[in-house]
Amino acid sequence: MKTKIGIPRGLFFYQYYPLWKTFFEELGAEIAVSGHTNRRILDMGVKSCVDEACLPVKVFFGHVLDLADKVDYLFIPRLTSVSRKEYICPKFGGLPDMVRHSLYGLPPIIDTEINLRKSGKNLLNAAMDVGSRLNCDKKAVRRALEKSLRAYREFREQVKKGALPPDIIDKRFPVLKKPSDRILNILVIGHVYNLYDNYINMDMLKKLRNNSVNLITVDMIDGCIIDEKAQTLNKKMFWYFGRKAMGTALHVLDRNDIDGVIYVMSFGCGVDSFISDLVEKKIRRKSDVPFIILTIDEHSGEAGFNTRLEAFLDMVRWRYRHEADVSSHG
Amino acid sequence: MKERELYLGIDVGSVSTNLVLIDENEKLVEKVYIRTSGQPIEALKRGLKMIRERLGDDANIRGVGTTGSGRQLAGAIVGADIIKNEITTHAIAAQKLVPGVKTILEIGGQDSKIIIIRNGVVFDFAMNTVCAAGTGSFLDRQAARLNIPIEEFGTYALKSRSPVRIAGRCAVFAESDMIHKQQTGHAVEDIICGLCEALVRNYLNNLAKGETLEDPVVFQGGVAANVGIVAAFEKALGKKIIIPEHYDVMGAFGAAVIAREKMMRSGKPTAFYGFRAVNCDYRAKSLECNGCSNMCEVIQISADGEPLACWGDRCGKWTAGAIHIERQSGF
Repeated sequence: MKTKIGIPRGLFFYQYYPLWKTFFEELGAEIAVSGHTNRRILDMGVKSCVDEACLPVKVFFGHVLDLADKVDYLFIPRLTSVSRKEYICPKFGGLPDMVRHSLYGLPPIIDTEINLRKSGKNLLNAAMDVGSRLNCDKKAVRRALEKSLRAYREFREQVKKGALPPDIIDKRFPVLKKPSDRILNILVIGHVYNLYDNYINMDMLKKLRNNSVNLITVDMIDGCIIDEKAQTLNKKMFWYFGRKAMGTALHVLDRNDIDGVIYVMSFGCGVDSFISDLVEKKIRRKSDVPFIILTIDEHSGEAGFNTRLEAFLDMVRWRYRHEADVSSHG
Repeated sequence: MKERELYLGIDVGSVSTNLVLIDENEKLVEKVYIRTSGQPIEALKRGLKMIRERLGDDANIRGVGTTGSGRQLAGAIVGADIIKNEITTHAIAAQKLVPGVKTILEIGGQDSKIIIIRNGVVFDFAMNTVCAAGTGSFLDRQAARLNIPIEEFGTYALKSRSPVRIAGRCAVFAESDMIHKQQTGHAVEDIICGLCEALVRNYLNNLAKGETLEDPVVFQGGVAANVGIVAAFEKALGKKIIIPEHYDVMGAFGAAVIAREKMMRSGKPTAFYGFRAVNCDYRAKSLECNGCSNMCEVIQISADGEPLACWGDRCGKWTAGAIHIERQSGF
């Protein structure tokens, strides 16, 4: 029987799943993914996780529990850094420990450290470590890694062309309402685990798409453009996400086809608390592009969230109509 | 005589429920301001009843718009032609009553907002994020605690000679600060004045974020009735603040204006059910759907036992069968 590896649908899932899936399948393992976030998963996560953690971490705990008794191994890598000279949130580095010490009766956890801060070559070492735990030979691991990187690059290309990661991963082809109005280009900045988990973000992407919005997410912006822009900052960004967000914000200033920018942050996020402010200052001071920060947390009352989102779209459309000299609203 | 064409705007908020009737020239004909008291349906029915008593059953209502946090509910009950968020309606109302307005300060029951207008359109807006400190419901609570009618709360502040400093960032801290200052013997006028100043300070920090607010500045929402807060704003900003005539029902007024525009444009008959709502028995039933592990909290509204509207489900299973009120709101 094939070894069954459980991959929780949380945190960096929507960033790396195609890579992880290909890698494990090439090594002859079977993959099990937890279900889409729902209230049961959220409740389980909130109950079992430390209170100070942010919502996405709590949700991740729920996904772990959703998988716990269905798999032979849980894949929860210790993600220290995924890019040169940059870190990600420290909670990722401590994630396997947090999970192990809060939840009991879990299957063995593959908690290989992935630390690409000094060199991308560490990726091979990490892959070898995972392979050895599954008793695979080195050649097979090398081959699986190559193949999975290829799959990852393909996935990235699709995203850059405008596909949303959850649509690619779940092979969904959403049927959208026919645009009833001029299509707006709205750029959305946020962590993958907030942007693509439609339970956490209260179906924000669907709401936008159903309101004649062409979505551009931070992940669709070319990495080279982001790097180039980020280099113009007077200080190097310490965070991986910070570079992405700041590079994207600066890129917005160069474009004239962006009708509005939405920054989605989760309540209590340390990285966002800095970056959202920096992004806001850049966009507001250097441009007239409508900008809003939407904060998401555990509450399921959508009224406040919808009011802000609705009013933001009204504002963008109203302004556009005004510029087009057709004065009206509503 | 040709019967006047009227448009109804309804704003169901956390603290008050307001109804406004305007005529075809956007002149306000009737206005009703009542306390929601935690029962939005009852408040709405009372409001409609008052309007009917003043106008008679056969008033020629050509369009209805709803707004406020209870806008979905109100829209379902009366049959709204348009359901709009309160930022847009407040901005429209202010521009009608104070042409050329550039800054709108609005403090309601649980929300506070700032809206910046440039060239006649909403240029930017912000809503309170952290806490409801400084909004109407908090002031209500403090007035009740000090045993002062809310209507007189502001005049106390004006009598103060040396306001005390109160922490305004958090409602809980503000309250414990006030209690402490009372116990050390400060006069109640000075405490109330200090509270007003703290709330204004917090508002300007949290919402205006240090931006310069351009004249003319309009202050609306229920809290604009509080002269203490008005004085604190004028002191902090160093400029005169305009309180529009119908400051307390601006959301409803804006909703009526939007309804009028929409109906004029479309030329269609209104979706308004008429005043029969007054006599209907409305029931809101909430249930937890067990269809999947989302366990959505579904709300069903029925009128005299007939299902009227439904929302709260993520998949559309419940909303699909009921009247789809989302079509007017967009979401």
